[in-house]
Amino acid sequence: MLKNMQEKIGYLRETQLGSFIPVLLALIAIWVYFGIVEPVFLSPRNFYFLFMQSAVVGTLAVGVTLVLLMGDIDLSIATVAGVCAAIVAVLSTKMGVSAPIACLAGLGAGALLGGIMGTIIAYFRVPSFVVTLAGLLGFQGLMMKILGIHGAINVRDPFIRGLTTTTLPDSIGLILAAIGIIIFGLAIWNNRRARNAKNLDNDLLYVSIIKFIFFSTLVLTATLILNAYRGVPLTIIILLSITGFLGWLTTSTSYGRAMFAVGGNLESARRVGISIEYMRISAFALVGFMAAVGGIIGASRYASVSFNAFAGGPLLLEAIGAAVIGGTSLFGGRGSVWNAILGALVIGSLGNGLDLAGARAADKLMFSGAILLIAVTLDAVTRGAASRK
Amino acid sequence: MNNNNINPLKNTSSEQTNPIHFSAQGIMKKFGGIDALNDVNFELRRGEVMGLVGDNGAGKSTLMKAISGAQLCDSGAFFIDGEEVKINSPHDASRKGIQIVYQDLALCENLDVTANLFLGNEIRYLDNLKIIPRALRPLNHLSMEEQTKAALRKLKVHTITSMRTKIGFLSGGQRQSIAIARATKSDSTIVLLDEPTAALGVSQTKEVLQLVKRLRETNHAVVLISHNLNNIFEVCDRITVMRQGENIGVFDTKDTTPDQVVSSITRGE
Repeated sequence: MLKNMQEKIGYLRETQLGSFIPVLLALIAIWVYFGIVEPVFLSPRNFYFLFMQSAVVGTLAVGVTLVLLMGDIDLSIATVAGVCAAIVAVLSTKMGVSAPIACLAGLGAGALLGGIMGTIIAYFRVPSFVVTLAGLLGFQGLMMKILGIHGAINVRDPFIRGLTTTTLPDSIGLILAAIGIIIFGLAIWNNRRARNAKNLDNDLLYVSIIKFIFFSTLVLTATLILNAYRGVPLTIIILLSITGFLGWLTTSTSYGRAMFAVGGNLESARRVGISIEYMRISAFALVGFMAAVGGIIGASRYASVSFNAFAGGPLLLEAIGAAVIGGTSLFGGRGSVWNAILGALVIGSLGNGLDLAGARAADKLMFSGAILLIAVTLDAVTRGAASRK
Repeated sequence: MNNNNINPLKNTSSEQTNPIHFSAQGIMKKFGGIDALNDVNFELRRGEVMGLVGDNGAGKSTLMKAISGAQLCDSGAFFIDGEEVKINSPHDASRKGIQIVYQDLALCENLDVTANLFLGNEIRYLDNLKIIPRALRPLNHLSMEEQTKAALRKLKVHTITSMRTKIGFLSGGQRQSIAIARATKSDSTIVLLDEPTAALGVSQTKEVLQLVKRLRETNHAVVLISHNLNNIFEVCDRITVMRQGENIGVFDTKDTTPDQVVSSITRGE
């Protein structure tokens, strides 16, 4: 009986829509609950801040999803973000480097740190858990060194601040949303036509239609809500573009295939000629890059880089938690970068709602823990379903 | 080898046999002081299923590994269509058209049928644009799916309806079919099957044996390793018996009985 149910849940989660639905339901449930308890929660202003609060966690979650897919983990993302943010802050405020170049240096540093850890994991066969744990500790120290004795640097550079304070004019936001919806619709329609032409099995028509309606409502509602306050933030556009690219990379290239293969069956990936070393190094470099993006967004949002905001806080666990809540498996081989964003929204909404409801830090931690536990259990249960047969 | 002429192949059958497609001659392999393979000769024809039997440790797997390039032998030579070929790596072997299906199949359960069939060898758009790294060229999902469908149809595998099903949800027999389809998809001529029915139930075993027969019809040279003599006798044209690292003899399935093969396996007669 239980096995049967596991199998059914497993099936559901294997489908494209199915992996999306549990997180989305969780998100809607949280929104409805807090919407009733604290009506302010559903105000455009609060939604705006909710999105902005979730941006850093979302960026890191999208990044860490890449190595989770391969069955690895990166525990150093939050500290790498901190180091990169510190580098950007020092370069731009103390050394007079122009902000865009400082940001590029930060991004490069992130990719480099990730790449170094990836190299150690790939060639010395040290488990990623241990290497990145060492990275977590070492980079904390590095961050302290870069920040100097005060432990914090204020960031007032208009370019860096602008990354999170800029919002798009209402009309541009709407136009972008419309373009997104049209591209999505065309993609679905084209795919259906091509599959029919080649006589391949198609999704049921109503499934495609539901997908489309679902996507357009989501995008349109979000845009309208954000427009009702200040407009669509530039940060969101940056995050969505990067996620879009990574989503394409993981699902529609040989590189992405190889990631899933490494996470699913390392030995068979090796036998078909995939270079495990290359995959590990590049994936960890990508995660480092994403961590740097998160770091820069964080520096911009807080207008400062401090040790506590990155390394000392719950950022790391929230990011990994967001990825897992989004349905990405800790065991490798299953997941999606898009779901990581939804997962980040779940964690963000929970924190935001509990704050509004006047919950104390203790309650917040316990709630987050419970949600994470549920997500991981669901992951473990459904993992068994597919392989038991 | 010396007593290889116990039951030399007789070309008595009226149907014409294909010429020798692949042969391994004088293969030697030592593990420490033990002769894992001692001067083994082995030959295959296209359109023929060769059974390879023997007790545990008789050298079947070592021979397969040598042919598929997974393990180098100490001495000996391989010939394809009379021409000597060097097989120093699995890559060499697959370039020469030799494909092996391991017992553990090496499929990714988290990927779908199409993805597994093309793993490491995807069909991509923009493949003539050298500026873009190969790994970053967009996949041509539909072509791959179409070819997967065709490959399975060619092998008469009808139980897998959607190519988008994840391998994790398929039965053992279906997985075996996909592993075999992967091995025969490229222009391979020699397919080595290592215990393909070992973990399967009755009906799934039947399914896989049907598939092996199909490979004969598609003019592949097939090697079937199995401990199950019923299966061997059901599909094989000839049977090579190995014992203690030596090729004891090659039997024509038509002219022999399971008892004879068993005594050959156990006593070397």
